[in-house]
Amino acid sequence: MSKFVFRNNTVERFFGKEYSFSGYDDISLIPQDADIYVWWYQVPIKYDQQVLADEIGDYAQKLNFVLSQIEPTKSFIALTMDILYFVPFTDDDSRLQQSVANYNNALYNAEASYNNVKVIDITEFTRNYTAADLFDWKFYFVSQMGMNPKLNKEFKVWWERKLSSIALKRKKCLVLDLDNTLWGGILGEDGIEGIKIGGDYPGKAFLYWQKALLGLSRSGVILTICSKNNEHDVLEAWENNPFMVLRQEHFAAYRINWTDKATNIKALADELNLGLDSFVFVDDNPTERELVKQMLPMVSVPDFPKQPYELPVFFKSLVEQYFKVYSITDEDKKKTEQYKANAARAKAAASFTDFASFLESLHIQIGVEAANEFNIQRIAQMTQKTNQFNLTTHRYTDADVRRFLDERWKIWCISVADKFGDNGITGTIIVKPLDSERCEIDTFLLSCRILGKGIEIAFIKRILSLLESSGFKTITANFIPTAKNTQVRGFWDKVGFKCISETEDGSRNYELSLTDTDLSIENYYHITIK
Amino acid sequence: MEEKVLQIIKETFELATVDKTCSQKTCEAWDSMGQLNLVAELEDAFEISLEPEEIGQMTSYDDVIRILKEKM
Repeated sequence: MSKFVFRNNTVERFFGKEYSFSGYDDISLIPQDADIYVWWYQVPIKYDQQVLADEIGDYAQKLNFVLSQIEPTKSFIALTMDILYFVPFTDDDSRLQQSVANYNNALYNAEASYNNVKVIDITEFTRNYTAADLFDWKFYFVSQMGMNPKLNKEFKVWWERKLSSIALKRKKCLVLDLDNTLWGGILGEDGIEGIKIGGDYPGKAFLYWQKALLGLSRSGVILTICSKNNEHDVLEAWENNPFMVLRQEHFAAYRINWTDKATNIKALADELNLGLDSFVFVDDNPTERELVKQMLPMVSVPDFPKQPYELPVFFKSLVEQYFKVYSITDEDKKKTEQYKANAARAKAAASFTDFASFLESLHIQIGVEAANEFNIQRIAQMTQKTNQFNLTTHRYTDADVRRFLDERWKIWCISVADKFGDNGITGTIIVKPLDSERCEIDTFLLSCRILGKGIEIAFIKRILSLLESSGFKTITANFIPTAKNTQVRGFWDKVGFKCISETEDGSRNYELSLTDTDLSIENYYHITIK
Repeated sequence: MEEKVLQIIKETFELATVDKTCSQKTCEAWDSMGQLNLVAELEDAFEISLEPEEIGQMTSYDDVIRILKEKM
C-alpha cells in the first residue's frame, strides 16, 4: 500500500516507511500509482501578514488542482491547518486567522464535492500540547520542521487511529457494570432512593456519564449490562428512580445475576451474535476487570477512573479509543432496536412446532437493490466490519466500490424487514464479470443479525437468477477461511456449487453452471427488486 | 554511553549491524532526514539539547561521541 504526502514543510518523521513525499510546496509531480494521498500543508513562516494570508489562499487553489488530477476512486486525506506560531503586530489584525479559516473551509468544501476526500482536524492532536511543545524553532531552522519532531510517536499513534476510524474499525458493543459504574453506591445496600444518580455531586457526575452513554448508543454503539445484582432490584430502579437516564429499553441485552462475568459476557456475545473482539467491558471493580482480561483476552477492558469527576475525561478516551468512526450511517443509529427485535424473534421461534411455519409467520420482506450513491458507503462499511458470514473477507473502501462500478462489476445489497422490525441494509454481493458468460462472486456477506432464517439462500438464489437473465452461464466463487468465518465453509456446497480445487490453507474454488441449477425460492420470502 | 549511541544509530537507521566506523559517508540511511531523526533520538535518550552548530558537525559516530562528551 503506497501512500503519498503533499506537504510544504518537513514531515517525514511523522510517517512510516510506506509513505513518500512531494517536494516542499511542490505539486508539479503528482504520482498516479499511490493508493492513498495525504495533504498536509502547515502555516508558512512569513512576517508580512498580507503575504502570509495570500500564500495560504494559494494553497487551497493548489489543493483543488491536485484533486482534479487524481483518480476520484483513490482515498485522499487532508489535514486541516493550525496556527502554531503567530506574531500579529496589533491585536485587531486577524488576517492570518481568517485565511487559515478560509483554507480549512476549502478543505471541507473539497470533502463535500469529492467522494474520495476526507478531512482530519489537526487540532484534535495539537490541542493536547502547549505552543512550546508543538513548535521548536531549532528544528525549524535545522530541518524546516513545521511541527516539533519530538512529537512523532504521539502523532503516529493518533494518525493510525484516525486512519482506522476512516476505515470504520470501531468496536460494536459496550458492556457496563451497574453499582459504582453507572451510578454511585450499591443498589442492594443503598436502595433505589439511596444510589447516587442526579442531584448534586457525585450523582451529577453519574448523570452526565449516563447521558453521554445514551448519546453514544444513538450513534449505533450497542449498550449491554453485566452486573452482580438481583435482577428484580435493578428493574425496579430502572422503573422508579426518577433521575435514571439509561433504562431497560436502552440495553440490547443484559445479564444481571451472580454468575461470573466472563461467562455472562460470552452469553451476551452469543445472544447478540457478535464476536467478542467487538466488545468493550467497563467495570469499576479491578478484580472483575482482571478476570475478564484473563478469561476473554479478545474483549477490550479499559481502566475505570477512581473518582466520579473523572468520568467525562474517561468517556472521551473511551470514545476516541474504541468507538470513533469517520461518519455514521442511518443503519448504525438503529442498531440497538434491531438487536432487541432479534431477541423478540428468538422468543417467537420457541413457540412454533415447525420452522417453516415460523418463517412464514415472520412476514419476511427482502429488498434487493443495486449499488447506488445512497448505499455505497454502507456497502463499503459492511465489507470492513463483517467477519462471520463473509465468504472471502475482502475489505473495501467506498472509493473501491465506486471503482468496481466504473469497471462494470455488479453489486447489490439486501435489506431485510419482518414483523418485528426493519433490519435495514444487512448484506451485499459483489460480482466481477470475467467474460460475457462467466462471472466471479468476489464478495458475499451478510450481517449476523439476519441469519437463522434461510435468507442467505433466498438472497443468493435471487442474485443467481438475475445473473442468469443477464446472460451469464457459469459462476465461480471462492471461500477464503479466516479465524471467524468457519460457519460459512460449506455454504457454496449448500447452494449447489461444485468445489473444483482446495489449497493447503483451506481456500476453496467453486463453480456453478446456471443451466442445471434449481433457483426456486420458498414463497414465504417476499423479495422485491428495487 | 558508546554502547547506547551505537544502539541508537542502529535503531534510527534500521541497520542489521553497526560499528564505530559508521558515518554519513558509509551509511546510506544517514542522510539529512536521518540526521534529524538521530538528533531527536539522542536528545531524548541523553536528555540534552543539541545546538544547530553541533548538529551540523555530527557526521560520524566519532563526532557524536565527541560532542556528547563535551555536553556532559
